[in-house]
Amino acid sequence: METNEIPGTGTQSRGYEEAEIPAVDLEDDVSTGTVAPRRRRGVSEWHQVGKHLLRNRGAVIGLLIIGIFVIGAVFAPVLTTHNPIQNNLTMRLQSPSTTHWLGTDALGRDLYSRMLYGSRISLNIGLISVVIGVAVGVPIGAISGFYGGKLDIFTQRIIDIMIAFPGILLAIIVVTVLGVGVQNVMIATGIASVPIYARLVRGSVLAAKEQSYVEAARAAGLGDASIVFRHILPNCLAPIIVQSTFQIATSILWAAGLGFLGLGAQAPMPEWGAILSDGRAYIRTAHHLTTYPGLAILFMVLGFNLLGDGLRDALDPRSRGN
Amino acid sequence: MSGTAERQPMLQVTNLKKYFPIKTGVFSRTTGYVKAVDDVSFDIYPGETFALVGESGCGKSTTGRTILRLQNATGGQVIFKGEDVYAATGDRMRVLRKDMQIVFQDPYSALNPRMTIGAAIREIMRVHGMATGNELHEKAERVLETCGLQRHHASRYPHEFSGGQRQRVVIARALALNPSLIVADEPISALDVSIQSQIINLLEDLQDEFDLTFLFISHDLSVVKHMAERVGVMYLGKLVEVAGKRELYENPLHPYSQALLSAIPVSDPARRQERIILKGDVPSPANPPSGCPFHTRCPYAMDVCRSVVPRLRRTDSGRHVACHLIHPPEQHNGDLSTVETRIAH
Repeated sequence: METNEIPGTGTQSRGYEEAEIPAVDLEDDVSTGTVAPRRRRGVSEWHQVGKHLLRNRGAVIGLLIIGIFVIGAVFAPVLTTHNPIQNNLTMRLQSPSTTHWLGTDALGRDLYSRMLYGSRISLNIGLISVVIGVAVGVPIGAISGFYGGKLDIFTQRIIDIMIAFPGILLAIIVVTVLGVGVQNVMIATGIASVPIYARLVRGSVLAAKEQSYVEAARAAGLGDASIVFRHILPNCLAPIIVQSTFQIATSILWAAGLGFLGLGAQAPMPEWGAILSDGRAYIRTAHHLTTYPGLAILFMVLGFNLLGDGLRDALDPRSRGN
Repeated sequence: MSGTAERQPMLQVTNLKKYFPIKTGVFSRTTGYVKAVDDVSFDIYPGETFALVGESGCGKSTTGRTILRLQNATGGQVIFKGEDVYAATGDRMRVLRKDMQIVFQDPYSALNPRMTIGAAIREIMRVHGMATGNELHEKAERVLETCGLQRHHASRYPHEFSGGQRQRVVIARALALNPSLIVADEPISALDVSIQSQIINLLEDLQDEFDLTFLFISHDLSVVKHMAERVGVMYLGKLVEVAGKRELYENPLHPYSQALLSAIPVSDPARRQERIILKGDVPSPANPPSGCPFHTRCPYAMDVCRSVVPRLRRTDSGRHVACHLIHPPEQHNGDLSTVETRIAH
């Protein structure tokens, strides 16, 4: 190889010949600028996300609120003072007292016990509807975004039609078709969230598939399935997680709405929306029947929204800084 | 040139075309094409470094991608080791892909941020059944070492590396499959100047050690001068000149090559020559000029250049140039050739 005939002036100088720097010197030149110990495990991104999340005050408050509800739901049999569906007509419409911490309803049932069991139902609806939404929406979005073309146009027009309906209306339509009941509410809110996931994932997949590492995987001869599952979807996880947190809150709200309308849990099931609806008739004489379930719905939704906000910031490498 | 002429080419690219449709309106009707690569032909011989140079947007990267079939060509033929790349399907294509790898320009987007670099390298080795179990780990770590990284780097994520180290990882991943051809698509343009030379040296060392053939795509003429044995100059999707490095740098024939090479800074005042400043901008590849694509900016443009597309033809000295100055259109059947080669629109 002939030597560089054009040594170049000033900034143009490259000097390939003398720049044989051994790689060992590059050892600690990592982007974080920290000195790496010799045998260190790779620091996964999730580690950093967790650290960042716990530094976010809103997210911690959200986690605490959710934690309280989860503990209440899991240990409901231990924490309750009364049977949530046991009528006691001699104790109708009692105000909060030491025996009935949050008072009683029109049939003399203990509101505190009913609400604890109600948090089980609400959390279940929130989680299961999100699982349904993710399980159906993510593959639709991924296939639509990855393959594109006519298939993409076709699916996206169907998604457009579904998005044109407000989620709660879509859920009402599905419940009307399937019949009332808690299980059908889960299915309905799940289906109502499918278009949201399909649209979200399609967008993320469209962005991720343009990255060079996807092209590199293709150049290495990897099949479509491994490209989608190992290279594209893991990089779309952040928006899916954030959306799921918000979607749990939305589903709980939708389920309470359906319960309020009498389309969800049926008596005597202690569902928050249904409790709220039953208490509506006594709002002037026994406001605790509407106030406490209303506050419970408010705080659970608030908790998930705070956590979602925190996750969105923590999962975004740009806002994470350093 | 004379040495390579007797050997069989490893890669033969013939009349390669890549047109991107321009879609407009509600119904996405195709209203035209961007001719990113238009009728490009060249051969690459085993063990050599063939460079494609040109301004950004001239189609050099697209040429590299269509050769590897990362984008499908609109027309033309790519023959790699005697096998038509565009005729291969399924398993056959996988085998071909193993033998042709790519190094990308931007080492930041070329690595999956959710995979450790060891996992990324092991994955592609596993797909090709190169090893299993402990042997797989061993091989992956060895290839990292070959590229100037440490074995324990295998358990790290891409964000823990600097740009230069990432590019070493990208090279290691390409090398992991033991390819014979590597398409290096601007492998150093995204790196700091201080790192560029290390990567160039690494590529050269690997070429010697593993007998690699490079298609080196770059806009940096001094790097190309250092690396390449033969150089193809591209302008607006067309190859305008192909020559040995020494011939091209000492005596560029095509007016565009002359202008391009005059842009390299020369330190010796005695040797300093007039810089040829081209007037105007590069025409849009969506609406290329008729005739020679360079005629709008060429200082020597003649009437014939506006109507007849010059073809890449061999000169007496064995170089290839597409210019009417070098190969005047033949007088007696000039009308015929004009009709033949006039651009369709």
